Amino acid sequence: MTTLAHQSEVSSPAPLPTRSLITKLNIVTGLIVGAIFCWGTYYAMRAGRDMTNEHNINKVLILSMFMWSLGFMIGIGALIGPFRWLIGKDLTPEEELYMSGQGQGMKRYFKYCTDHKVVGIQYLVAVMVLLGSGGTMAMMIRTNLATPGSHLVLPKIYNSLVGLHGITMIIAMIIVLTGPLGNFILPMMIGARGEAFPRLNATSFWLLFTAIPVLCSAWFLGGIPTGWSAYAPLSTQAGPGMNSFLVTIIIFAISTAIAGTNITTTVITMRAKGMHFNRVPIFVIGCTISVALAVPAFPTFMAAMVQTGMDRTISTGFYDANVGGSGWLYANLFWIMGHPEVYVILLPGVAALLEMVPVFTRKPLFSFPMAVAGMAGIAGMSALVWAHHMYMSGWMPALNGPFMVTTEFISFPTGLLFLVFVGTLWRSRPWLKFPMLCVYAMLWNLLVGGITGVYVSDVPLDGTLHGSMYVTAHFHYTIMGAALSGAVGAIAYWFPKLSGRMLNERASYISFWLVQIGLNVLFMGMFLVGAEGQPRRVASYAEQFAGGNFISTLGAYTVGIGMLVFLWAIIHSARKGDIAPANPWGAKTLEWTVPYPAPIENFSEDPIVTSDPYGFGKRVSK
Amino acid sequence: MAFDNSEDLEPTPGQRLRNFVQRKDVTQTIILGVVITALFTIFGLYAYPNWMPAVHSKEMHSARLIMTIFTVLSAPIGGFVLAITVRAFLNMHRGDTPPPDQEVSEKSNTPAILVWCFTTGAFVVAAIVIGLLVYNSDTNSAVADAPDAITVEVTGAQWVWSFYYPAQNIHTHTLELPTGQPVDFKVTSVDVNHSFWPVQLGIKVDANRLVTTTAEARPTILGHIDIRCAELCGLNHAFMETGGAVVTASDFDTWVKSIKATGGIEQ
Repeated sequence: MTTLAHQSEVSSPAPLPTRSLITKLNIVTGLIVGAIFCWGTYYAMRAGRDMTNEHNINKVLILSMFMWSLGFMIGIGALIGPFRWLIGKDLTPEEELYMSGQGQGMKRYFKYCTDHKVVGIQYLVAVMVLLGSGGTMAMMIRTNLATPGSHLVLPKIYNSLVGLHGITMIIAMIIVLTGPLGNFILPMMIGARGEAFPRLNATSFWLLFTAIPVLCSAWFLGGIPTGWSAYAPLSTQAGPGMNSFLVTIIIFAISTAIAGTNITTTVITMRAKGMHFNRVPIFVIGCTISVALAVPAFPTFMAAMVQTGMDRTISTGFYDANVGGSGWLYANLFWIMGHPEVYVILLPGVAALLEMVPVFTRKPLFSFPMAVAGMAGIAGMSALVWAHHMYMSGWMPALNGPFMVTTEFISFPTGLLFLVFVGTLWRSRPWLKFPMLCVYAMLWNLLVGGITGVYVSDVPLDGTLHGSMYVTAHFHYTIMGAALSGAVGAIAYWFPKLSGRMLNERASYISFWLVQIGLNVLFMGMFLVGAEGQPRRVASYAEQFAGGNFISTLGAYTVGIGMLVFLWAIIHSARKGDIAPANPWGAKTLEWTVPYPAPIENFSEDPIVTSDPYGFGKRVSK
Repeated sequence: MAFDNSEDLEPTPGQRLRNFVQRKDVTQTIILGVVITALFTIFGLYAYPNWMPAVHSKEMHSARLIMTIFTVLSAPIGGFVLAITVRAFLNMHRGDTPPPDQEVSEKSNTPAILVWCFTTGAFVVAAIVIGLLVYNSDTNSAVADAPDAITVEVTGAQWVWSFYYPAQNIHTHTLELPTGQPVDFKVTSVDVNHSFWPVQLGIKVDANRLVTTTAEARPTILGHIDIRCAELCGLNHAFMETGGAVVTASDFDTWVKSIKATGGIEQ
């Protein structure tokens, strides 16, 4: 991408606003104030209440958790600006500059920092922690399922493992790219000096941070028996751990809405001069569609959880058939979010790989308009397919046919993305690099996930596959096999920009083959037992499924080892890796024109874009 | 006066196609595509049906049939995608410097896009039409028009299944069905959501609290039925199982009589 930008040195640090409260606040003060709010609310609300009544317990716990989140946000300084507005003032320019992390070194990562690059790294660490804990729970699940009738963990613990693994991984995968790279890289790719709403950007991350201890508290409150789908009435009857789940979802939904609005606004309003829509990098388009899809999707999940909370605290009965409510109301609200959410996860990973295929093949992206049409088509169609998850629920069987049509039709825009990949790969000689390997892996995994998706979208076939391990394997191929391969490839591709160093190649290759071989062994085993008739989310199973489950467990361990190798590669390379050249892959997008470490506002002069970012290849006459 | 200017002529479409197919990279891609398509097809025709549960009903037969048809239909598309992918993988450029810019630099190719859209569109339409036809045949007048249909009321409770045959007035905890007679399952729950799954019948429906849902099956072949719960329903969800069988009409009558002899409740 041609640019007229000139780079400048990092500007000298501004004087600190030493008398401002803002300089005193950080994660520690956030934790202290959050804990005070939480315990203060807990003890104040307990006073005079009958704490043997489960509704009272739920009220006290839910409010205490919300107050923890509010207290933390106050303690870290997120609300200093709004408090000033209440008295007709705002932050001073020095305070604004301080809040951007200028001159604070590592400390800025533990503060309410408005620099999009800091927020990106904060998200990256959070993603790694969430993936690590969700992955550990997956290993425990698979260990329990290695043999039939295993009693390694009690059924109650097992059910909680299933639910908390699910929600942890879903949260991690939703933010896996739009969090780290949507914040760090995306503004640079469009030639912006930052995000449109820097304070909201920091707010979205720290809100997510406050949700993590809330989710962990479920373990200390008896766990969750419902799986991550939290169907009612099981969820309304569940123990206190369910409160942690619903508060986590509500906080996360707010965080996601803020982040989505911010990224969408940034891309629409802050692109460099000359960056018309047909010159916007495909990764930016993928991220924008993903977060824009999340903005309307998550409020329905939040609404579902608010009603669950009301059923649990004041007996509203939204989902209680005894008083005229319906569990189908919950199921609809959940899946109206639940299916778009698959594409919220998938699109950034696919778009990141589309971004790098032209770079490694040295060819233009084949049919940029088809790539955009594919992603937009998927996003649009995804809002019309939710009830395929409810074919077997008994809710409105007359709608099964129409939802089968819309669901199977979504294969068409998905096929356009395959066309763009194979069109670009056609007659190419791609550069053998780790991110490029992830492209091949994603194509295989998405193909398997996509074709099996057509099977489970068919009503007669879903009669046998629904609720079985087959469905578990199908969506893991899509979310883990395709989206996570895309995310790993993307993090490896932009690692030089994030850390200034190259990712260790040998360790990356080892991790790649371990993860991909293990992943296919793991989920092919699940396909086998699922097709045979093993239900999902079971702590024990019949002897006939022993072989497939044992194979799956071996595959899971292989994936686990591979992910540990990748984690080691990231940590080791970030500390001791080879210093990266400015543009190691020879890419043409704007972020590679920004030096490392990036200046606070990325560009000293606003870049002007004069060509598309995929101008590779030699012209050939037909 | 005659003269030869063939060297200046543009190749005909046939010649262009022949030249295209004879290129080494294209030949390799075609061979890979054929091999991968064949592997997918074999998988769909032989592996999948053998994995799936035994067929004891028309519905289970439909499920197996659709699984096979969809795999075979999608095989050429999967074969095409993987052929190009595998060839690119085998043809990779190694080294620390990027490869030179490729000579093939088409940003688009309208005929290729149209062919792709038509092929994938045809697959989608075929999948939809086949699915709707089978769904229609499975649900159309299966029970309503059958005078000999049997009704079974199924109740899920944490963590057991129970059955009531109103015409026979018997309560059971196993499920026996006579072959050849349509069955109308009326399913409910007394606590949380469960999902009634008689595996070899190829049907499933949720048991919702205080609501009755329905599912229909046409047992066709004698044999054992595993009955499981397919919806996470709490602590012992994994153990919410029972058994049953598709039996002959006379064996079914004998079974009913044996239960009536014990007061109408299966011991």
